[in-house]
Amino acid sequence: MRIVASYSIKGGVGKTTAAANVAWLAAESGQRVLLWDLDPQGGATYLFRVRPKVKGGGEALVSGRRDLRDAVKASDFDNLDLLPSDFSYRNLDLLLDAQKKPTRRLGRLLDSMADEYDVVVLDCAPSVSLVSEGIVRAADLVLAPLVPAPLSVRTLDQLRSFIAEAKGPAPDLLAFLSMVDRRRRLHRDLSEQLPNEHQDVAATAIPMASVVEQMGVRRAPVVAWARTAPASVAYRNLWDEARLHAKI
Amino acid sequence: MADEFVVDEAVGPSCVEVLTDALPVRGDVHHTERRVWFDTHDWRLFRAGLLLEHHVRKRESWLVLSDLEGQRISRQPIGRAAVTAQSLPDGVTRDRVLELIGVRALLPRVVASGPVQVLSVLGPEEKTVARIVVEGPTTVRDGAPVGLRARIESLRGYDKDAAKVCRTLDAIPGFGPAKEPLFESVLRAAGLHPRSFRSKPDLEFIPRIPVTQAFAGTLTQLREIVLDNVEGTLRQLDTEFLHDLRVTVRRTRAVLKFAHGTIDEDIRASYAVELKWLADQTSLSRDLDVYLLGFEDLVSHVNASGELEPLRRQLTRHRKTAHAALNRALRSERFAALLDGWQRELAVAGPAERPVIEVADDQLSRAWKRVAKRGDTITDASPAEAVHDLRKRCKELRYLLEFFGSLYGADARSEAVSELKLLQDILGEFQDAEAQRISVHQYAVELAKAGAPPATLIAMGRLEHHLQLRQDAARAEVADRWQRFNRKHNQRLYARMVTSR
Ligand SMILES: Nc1ncnc2c1ncn2[C@@H]1O[C@H](COP(=O)(O)OP(=O)(O)OP(=O)(O)O)[C@@H](O)[C@H]1O
Ligand SMILES: [Mg+2]
Repeated sequence: MRIVASYSIKGGVGKTTAAANVAWLAAESGQRVLLWDLDPQGGATYLFRVRPKVKGGGEALVSGRRDLRDAVKASDFDNLDLLPSDFSYRNLDLLLDAQKKPTRRLGRLLDSMADEYDVVVLDCAPSVSLVSEGIVRAADLVLAPLVPAPLSVRTLDQLRSFIAEAKGPAPDLLAFLSMVDRRRRLHRDLSEQLPNEHQDVAATAIPMASVVEQMGVRRAPVVAWARTAPASVAYRNLWDEARLHAKI
Repeated sequence: MADEFVVDEAVGPSCVEVLTDALPVRGDVHHTERRVWFDTHDWRLFRAGLLLEHHVRKRESWLVLSDLEGQRISRQPIGRAAVTAQSLPDGVTRDRVLELIGVRALLPRVVASGPVQVLSVLGPEEKTVARIVVEGPTTVRDGAPVGLRARIESLRGYDKDAAKVCRTLDAIPGFGPAKEPLFESVLRAAGLHPRSFRSKPDLEFIPRIPVTQAFAGTLTQLREIVLDNVEGTLRQLDTEFLHDLRVTVRRTRAVLKFAHGTIDEDIRASYAVELKWLADQTSLSRDLDVYLLGFEDLVSHVNASGELEPLRRQLTRHRKTAHAALNRALRSERFAALLDGWQRELAVAGPAERPVIEVADDQLSRAWKRVAKRGDTITDASPAEAVHDLRKRCKELRYLLEFFGSLYGADARSEAVSELKLLQDILGEFQDAEAQRISVHQYAVELAKAGAPPATLIAMGRLEHHLQLRQDAARAEVADRWQRFNRKHNQRLYARMVTSR
């Protein structure tokens, strides 16, 4: 079982969108996939039409009082299951802190799923917190959207040091440019420059596209219903790169 | 509550409409699907509770692994080409299947095709909460068609919804619970019965039945097992066909021996000759199979790889010729006549004779004595022939236990067999090492004549030495194992078996 965390310190950069599409692509290839929506806002849960509710809330799961398995919901797609969000996840940091080794807890919980899933995708709220430390620690790969901006490189550095400082064996990092608007000079330049200069930036950039926004209306990953759209092709290429990068 | 329904012919054509009226469903595209169920000849997947199916549609194909209750374990996209163990894509299916099948080939066991339509049952927010798969009528290759079915697939975390769908369908006129899952119906239609597969006779004797009847019944089953393995041996589907064929012939020869005094002596003698002939035809092929199956392992023991390549090629060549000779034998009139006569002369019970139990007691105690006599004379110094002789007597005893075992208490029988097996294992190891050592030597001579490089011959020298060491190690343990086997406990066990009833 390989664990992929969709993560960035910043909000609104395309984490949830990437998590949903990547999870779908892995499932389509025949891998058994679990997408865990750790964000109390439940963006991924909403995209898959699942009720954002876990019996007993985050407390029951984190404490082990409730088996993770019992909270799993099938998505509408083959091989793709979801661990839904719950509003109580807003206290997830406190819940984790009450555990013995808080940053190892998420990984431990997922260990129990190892025989049922080939790939786990984690989506969490943007921040530096116990939860994000936990998902980085559990992950084999951190997939990080990066919005093209003058400060992109600094954001990337922050991300690297956050990963380096996390306890346990460091996961692979693969950052990618997200919401790239090819009409803008800066975006074009950065999406060429960054992958060239940095090993941990994917060659594939995800274009800014209205089909991606449509996901919220269609409530399904864009790769599932607009297979040949440039954004879908980009997600597919990105996932191929990620698989190679982290041997998934 | 059933999750699979048989749809009445009257409803058949309007089935989807009926379901659409009864439930909030969305219909997916209608497909024609060819399904191939894969398993080994001896149904290893089925016996482990698994079904492996290849679903082929016009544009897409999948490999689907599920349990016998229909719960899906994995569904992977895969090409249209026939599935083999080697071509399985990475993933849980490959891992599970390879572990179960071992050396056996994955074979297409039954092929069926027909229309399939999937209906998604929608819950709040239009989320799919269950699926109804409407399938059929299904055409079964080499079998009668199976009628229209509606199968409910539950989705993880939505069990209650699936149960509700089941109740709804149950209440619709023309929908009746299916007595068995579709695959069972398809297998049955094709005349396949995985649960009654046997690679050895299934023997349950009642002590008082006439011994002639016991023999005829056993010989009938043995003949069927031989027949069941001929095709796979001819086509070399995997090495187990020949193995099972050979073991069955060996069993038959043992049974015929036990039938001394029961089956007419002339008949018995003539089949003994024919079966020996058949056994001889299989020997070389099987030896070479064993050799090649264990080749990597053997090579790893003597720290060689490339050097022994000429030997591997030599073995492969020999195997090819040996199999060709075997196939000629299996296609010969002599073999056909053997099977035919077997049916007419061996598989029918003669006039009632002694009860089977008397014969069993008699033979078991005699066989036990024969084993004991050989075993007692075995020392670390006794010659190889003495070890071989003991091995043969043990084998005889083992076959007797197998053949007559059902007459005795299950506990005593299985204990007797497992004790005996420990002894037989070491005797077998001795014999195998010796046979391989001798043949390595012969092959070395052949390869030398053919101008093989010195490195090859030197590596073969190491191989011969390694086999000699193995043989010696086995030899050194024979006396010990005999002591263990011949302890008071086992003596009493045998005595009890034949007197305790
Ligand atoms: N490539 C894109 N083109 C256009 N819109 C996009 C693209 N990627 C994401 N969006 C839109 O941007 C918004 C934020 O995306 P998303 O929810 O994936 O980001 P996030 O990093 O998960 O946000 P948060 O930090 O709030 O969890 C969404 O409305 C999404 O539809
Ligand atoms: Mg998000």
